[in-house]
Amino acid sequence: MSGVGGLRNVEAWRTRIPRYRFLGARCKSCGKLHYPPLKACPYCGSRDLEEAQLPRQGRLLAFTSVYSVEEGGREESPIFVGLIDLGVARVVAELTDVTDPSRLAAGIPVEAVFRRISEEDDEGVIVYGVKFRPVPGAGEGD
Amino acid sequence: MPVSVKSVGLTRIDRHYNKGVYDLAVEAVDDALKDSGAEPSYLVASTSASLLLEPQLDLASYLASHLGLRGSRALAVEAGEASGLAAILAGYRLAISTGERVLVVGVDKLSDLPSASVHAALKHVFYRYGDALYKVGHAAVAGLLASLYMDRFGVDRETMSYWPAMMHSHAKENPYAMLRFAVKPEKVATAMPVASPLTLLDMFPLGDGAAAVLLDPQGGGLAEIASVESSTGPASIAFSEDPLWLDAVEESWRRALSTAGVNGVEVLEIHDSYTIMGLLILETLRLAERGKAAELVAEGAFTVGGSGPLVNASGGLKARGHPVGATGVYMAAEVAMQLADVFPGVKADDAKTGAAVSINGHGSSAYTAIFRST
Repeated sequence: MSGVGGLRNVEAWRTRIPRYRFLGARCKSCGKLHYPPLKACPYCGSRDLEEAQLPRQGRLLAFTSVYSVEEGGREESPIFVGLIDLGVARVVAELTDVTDPSRLAAGIPVEAVFRRISEEDDEGVIVYGVKFRPVPGAGEGD
Repeated sequence: MPVSVKSVGLTRIDRHYNKGVYDLAVEAVDDALKDSGAEPSYLVASTSASLLLEPQLDLASYLASHLGLRGSRALAVEAGEASGLAAILAGYRLAISTGERVLVVGVDKLSDLPSASVHAALKHVFYRYGDALYKVGHAAVAGLLASLYMDRFGVDRETMSYWPAMMHSHAKENPYAMLRFAVKPEKVATAMPVASPLTLLDMFPLGDGAAAVLLDPQGGGLAEIASVESSTGPASIAFSEDPLWLDAVEESWRRALSTAGVNGVEVLEIHDSYTIMGLLILETLRLAERGKAAELVAEGAFTVGGSGPLVNASGGLKARGHPVGATGVYMAAEVAMQLADVFPGVKADDAKTGAAVSINGHGSSAYTAIFRST
């Protein structure tokens, strides 16, 4: 076990499907979507939910460059994180493929990509899931 | 008879490499009980980050052993960064329902491990399968909120910097504060970045501390408790229609004011883990119009002689410090001391009502305690 940061091996395996397929939940009562899926709708509290695919394209509402990262993330520092508007839902996710941080800005289009998120230790399973990247060629100045 | 804060005990928040959780907690309790006769019947302990960093289960019972309180009724409360005020809520309700004295002790140690390990532990104040999934530590969500705030209300970075400057000017006078030095607002933006636009000077320091509060249903002491309330909030800023409005804070505050039968308070301790959280709480409490909190802070509205209530005379999480599970107990002790006119730092002039507002993370929960002078 390497510290307290990431998902444990069995836990990572058990919880993989929503992360791999970017599956959230739709509330049958109020109709809203959310991700990651909870057992109740975060908006109206209804327990009547169904699985729902989240859109893979969205817009960046806000971003931050994180320098005070945890162990295991230092080589990648700064790590970019965004609040992303997918139209039907919002998500907080890591931003990746940021080759030019000066082009990150509220409003730019971003898209979901499947990436490595963390690993428990050298022998542990690798946790994969969704990150978002600026849509190639769609940024300002292109 | 209302439950009162009979007495309090605080340790200075610092990097106490030579003291452990039990050393600090016993010091705070000895300080709290030195002038009071009877032993408490209940011990409510609150600790949070240490549960991950230096694990100890059933801490309250082991602490009771260290205190010589064998046979007492002891339990621990955990609510992330709001643990301390959650313990006050539990202790207050116990004191009311049993008519017995309750000792609330908050303690946490953040300085024994490298900061990268502490950030890994602290990120778990956020939802494990959501905002805490990535290797981004504790500051990312605050960075997002600050960025949204500046964008939406057109607030500039320099104006926000007056918050940490005010916290440091208050902490300078507080013997229990960790960072007792002044910081000029113009130094904040250019300090080491933590999560842009926030820097190290927008963030609480990693320190250790313990605070104890003796609650007495027989009244007397420093201050009376008028109400303690709480509310849960959204599991992520992504699930909030407006992440810059803290629903849990609004609801816990409304409930607490209503139970206490007051419209506002004269002295306040609020949760400012990062500059942005302090500003958002001020706005959610309607002490500032939306987008205007930083400007009011810069004008001196929340310090001595300002137009608003005196806010974070202790120096706040920013400069007094934030030993996570202990912070809410510090807040309660500080407000009680203000109302008794014995706070050893910046003082509210003749205040009759005060409050402590504590949250976890982005506001997954919020707690409000309201006090009045005896």
